[in-house]
Amino acid sequence: MRHVLAADPTLTDFSQLIWWMVLLKVAIVFVFLLLTTIFMIWFERRVIGRMQNRPGPNRAGPLGLLQPVADALKLPLKEDIIPTGVDKLVFVAAPIIAAAPSFVAFSIIPWGPTVSVFHHRTPLQVADLPVAVLLVLAMSSIGVYGIVLAGWASRGPYSLLGALRSTAQVISYEIAMGLSFVAVFLYAGSLSTTAIVAAQQHFWYAWLLPVSFLVYLVTMVGETNRVPFDLPEGEGEIVAGHMTEYSSMKFAMFYLAEYINMTTVAGLATTLFLGGWRAPWPVSLWAGANSGWWPVLWFLIKVFILLFGYVWLRGTLPRVRYDQLMALGWKILIPLSIVWILLIATVRAWRNETHSGVVYGTAGFVLVLIVILAWAWDSGAQRHAARLAGGYQEGAAEPAVADGGDAAQSFPVPPLDLPHYHGIGVRGGAEPGSGAITGSGASKEVTGA
Amino acid sequence: MSLAAATIPAPSIEYSQLAPMLIVFGAAVVGVLVEAFAPRHLRRPAHLVLSLGGLATAFVLTCVIAGSASIFANGSPGHNAAMGAVAVDRPTLFIQGTILVLAFVSVLLIADSAQDVSPFAGQAAAAPGSPEEREGLLAGLVHTEIYPLTLFAVGGMLLFPASNDLLTMFVALEVLSLPLYLLCGLARRRRLLSHEAAVKYFLLGAFSSAFFLFGIAMLYGYSGSVSLAAIASTVSSNTGSTTLLFAGIALTGLGLLFKIGAVPFQSWKPDVYQGAPTPVTALMASCTVVSAFGALLRVFYVAFGNLTWDWRPAMWAVAILTMVIGAIIAITQTDVKRLLAYSSIAHAGFILTAVIAASAAGLSSSLFYLAAYGFTTVGAFAVITLVRDPGGEADHLSRWAGLGKRSPLVAGIFAFFLLAFAGIPLTSGFTGKFAVFQAAVAGGATPLVIVGVLASAIAAFFYVRVIVLMFFSDPVPDGPEVVVPSLFTGTAVGLGAVATLVLGIVPGPVLDLANHAATQLFVR
Amino acid sequence: MRLYVPILVLAVLAAGFAIFSVTFGALAGPKRWNKAKLESYECGIEPTPAPLGGGKVPIKYYLTAMLFIVFDIEIVFLYPWAVTFNKLGAFALVEMVAFVVAVLIAYAYVWRRGGLDWD
Repeated sequence: MRHVLAADPTLTDFSQLIWWMVLLKVAIVFVFLLLTTIFMIWFERRVIGRMQNRPGPNRAGPLGLLQPVADALKLPLKEDIIPTGVDKLVFVAAPIIAAAPSFVAFSIIPWGPTVSVFHHRTPLQVADLPVAVLLVLAMSSIGVYGIVLAGWASRGPYSLLGALRSTAQVISYEIAMGLSFVAVFLYAGSLSTTAIVAAQQHFWYAWLLPVSFLVYLVTMVGETNRVPFDLPEGEGEIVAGHMTEYSSMKFAMFYLAEYINMTTVAGLATTLFLGGWRAPWPVSLWAGANSGWWPVLWFLIKVFILLFGYVWLRGTLPRVRYDQLMALGWKILIPLSIVWILLIATVRAWRNETHSGVVYGTAGFVLVLIVILAWAWDSGAQRHAARLAGGYQEGAAEPAVADGGDAAQSFPVPPLDLPHYHGIGVRGGAEPGSGAITGSGASKEVTGA
Repeated sequence: MSLAAATIPAPSIEYSQLAPMLIVFGAAVVGVLVEAFAPRHLRRPAHLVLSLGGLATAFVLTCVIAGSASIFANGSPGHNAAMGAVAVDRPTLFIQGTILVLAFVSVLLIADSAQDVSPFAGQAAAAPGSPEEREGLLAGLVHTEIYPLTLFAVGGMLLFPASNDLLTMFVALEVLSLPLYLLCGLARRRRLLSHEAAVKYFLLGAFSSAFFLFGIAMLYGYSGSVSLAAIASTVSSNTGSTTLLFAGIALTGLGLLFKIGAVPFQSWKPDVYQGAPTPVTALMASCTVVSAFGALLRVFYVAFGNLTWDWRPAMWAVAILTMVIGAIIAITQTDVKRLLAYSSIAHAGFILTAVIAASAAGLSSSLFYLAAYGFTTVGAFAVITLVRDPGGEADHLSRWAGLGKRSPLVAGIFAFFLLAFAGIPLTSGFTGKFAVFQAAVAGGATPLVIVGVLASAIAAFFYVRVIVLMFFSDPVPDGPEVVVPSLFTGTAVGLGAVATLVLGIVPGPVLDLANHAATQLFVR
Repeated sequence: MRLYVPILVLAVLAAGFAIFSVTFGALAGPKRWNKAKLESYECGIEPTPAPLGGGKVPIKYYLTAMLFIVFDIEIVFLYPWAVTFNKLGAFALVEMVAFVVAVLIAYAYVWRRGGLDWD
């Protein structure tokens, strides 16, 4: 077992720089991310095809494997349009700003323990920092700049709205994501990914901290703007969101960034919650499972299972509404995470110093707080449900008046509350025009009736 | 899992010594809860109990701490609580006590809704003149958030002069400023003016905060610490770059002088005082000034106490400019609130002359002056809320003509406050000015005192002019109505007048208190 | 700083790749422009001269941004606290519970006032 323990790298292993090794590892990560993207495009289309009872791409190469290659070749050969009126510099810079940080974030994901490469012992990880996980959050925040700037520079309503939605969504889910990490750091006592993997030697944090893990699983979908949270590119409403004006390789950069981000957050989930490169349970009984090059296999298996989860979600779930999306982030995930952190911290303090009156007092307080919060949350939810169910008449009339007033000034939208939505207009079918033109007036009649 | 090996010593926090601040902040936080969950009709009474009760409790606790034997045992000047972040010493407690009493009176003014309308906007988010605003007015909406905001500001004001390191001081500065920016924009009448005041105050305040922060960075670069005592010891050991030090002094000084409204950082004061709702102006003109002077005194006495020869010339210039410009520009004012704003600038100059003395006498006279001036100011602004036109308060001086004939009592009290501002004997203003100038002369600043006396003479001119206008002019036709003060406003006016009178006739006890508080200067 | 060198190398490689791709795409593609193609895409209708009422953005987004800052700062405090939690003992627990409760109260206020609702 000696070599298994020695296989856990520490931060000091990363301060020895061997140039060719650094370049080799960087190149491997770079190529891996590109290949994963290409593979994922094929994989996603095939799996979704199967889920929808159709074969998926099957013409280019065996099993359609060359399809993404063909796509990748096609994209640069498409016309690169820069619409008139865009802010040129920012328009060109935005896809670069979106794509570049997504590569960088992956650098702190550990692939495996220390291995021997050409007689040099080196950890299978590009870099590790005392604040490694912060790097991922920082890079995802910089990626948001790419989205905002793309929407802003495009000077089109769809782009701007898409960028705003996307930004609001990503920053909202980033809070829940950041909160879900706290419990992990609390247990591991470090932000360094190697230390976190090392701390999961006996238990994966997914088992110890199930709530954090679940919250993270939800937020990683929200962070990457994937179905069912792909509102920013909801093609039914705002075409392609911030990417509307982009074509050719600029569009490809956004596409690339999305898929690399998926890989990164899946890798992070593996590292923080699923034991990193450690072998899963039945395999871990075999003594050699966590040494040498085997861990790379376990790591890849875990990552691709998570990536399959993404595809599965896309094949299964419809897109949520924007208010549902934000409500899930702000009203469920965030309070849940905060309460969970308090609970975990209290339990932890309890275990650290057993007979402290302060801890008992705080524990009691936290429990009372949780009960109060749960009650407030529940009563709020009930009131909300009652409003939705009971107040159809008043609930319908109120927004209609407000919307009618605003909409008249800003841009033309159809009246949001037509009588036939309530099955009333069927009777007055003789005059279909009047209801549509004076929407708010009609709705007043409805409430009066 | 052997990560819990080395333990970091947990910091200790003296909750009992910080109790006044904690109670004010706690009341503010509970106030937010009230805002969130209490039904509308219960909010105002709940807030009143919370705010007034919190401030009163905090005041009592401040007195208890001031009388505590353990903190001041063996002639100790005080104690640095919370790992040296917050100083608990006698000058600070005096300032905090003053702030709490003045804040109590200001909250009385803020809470006054016995007049036909409250001075605060029903719905601040609605654009002025919009249908939404009218709807809000008809629905009788009120912003009861004013109370927690006020308490947050007061909490920041309590922490500001007590901060023993610059970072805590910066946090306190922001905590006191941000709610004030909001409160300034909440006037019910003349809302655009009020919005303008809020935006101006916010922009200039943010600017000065940035300068202050930059100064902190310089001083950190100089001494390697943000603690005032550490900066002082670096100064006395004479290590470090003096360029950084002087840049730091200038920039932190700028941030503090902005808050007290000293020339050349005074330009926000008239606009903000005029635009803000009058109760908020009363709060700013009394509590904020007291708090900012407390912080200024601490920084310049503790951190730069050994550098008086270096900062004195600059402060001389600032004090002279503040007194002279404040007094001269006030002459041309035609709006009562602007007039009081410029008068407040001039008074800041008078207090600065004592700050420059950098002695126990300077400190004690500043403390006394701040207390006396605070009460007079709150009283004066309380009177302004009483003189009303159909469109709100009658701020223009021409509307005040002949007020003495229509409402001799209110005009008389206002005249009394103006005389106190002018420094006429038998008012607190005289005692304060006397103490301040005496300390300045003792500190060797006789020319400054001469300028100060001249500026007082100029100032006396425009105060007397208002009195003449009120008593010896004919009343304007359809002149402003003088509202019968409610219990709250009446208490505020009464307290201001009584304090002004008592501190003028028998200043002994409070002067003794201030002297006692100042004998050992600040704790290091 | 040695720890950051590999990250910088990867960053340079990634940025170089992105810049190269964008440039290559611009050079390799055909250029058959016409006026309609260069207009911003609005499903075929005439493009809005200035998007969204003169570039104004619904105020909800500002609110979300401000709330994000509040909570992000909470997280900034939580991370170092979490890392040193085992070493600080009960004191850290009490202080953080006080802090989190204060933030939760503000959060409850925002929620009750409809700050979290998207209609």
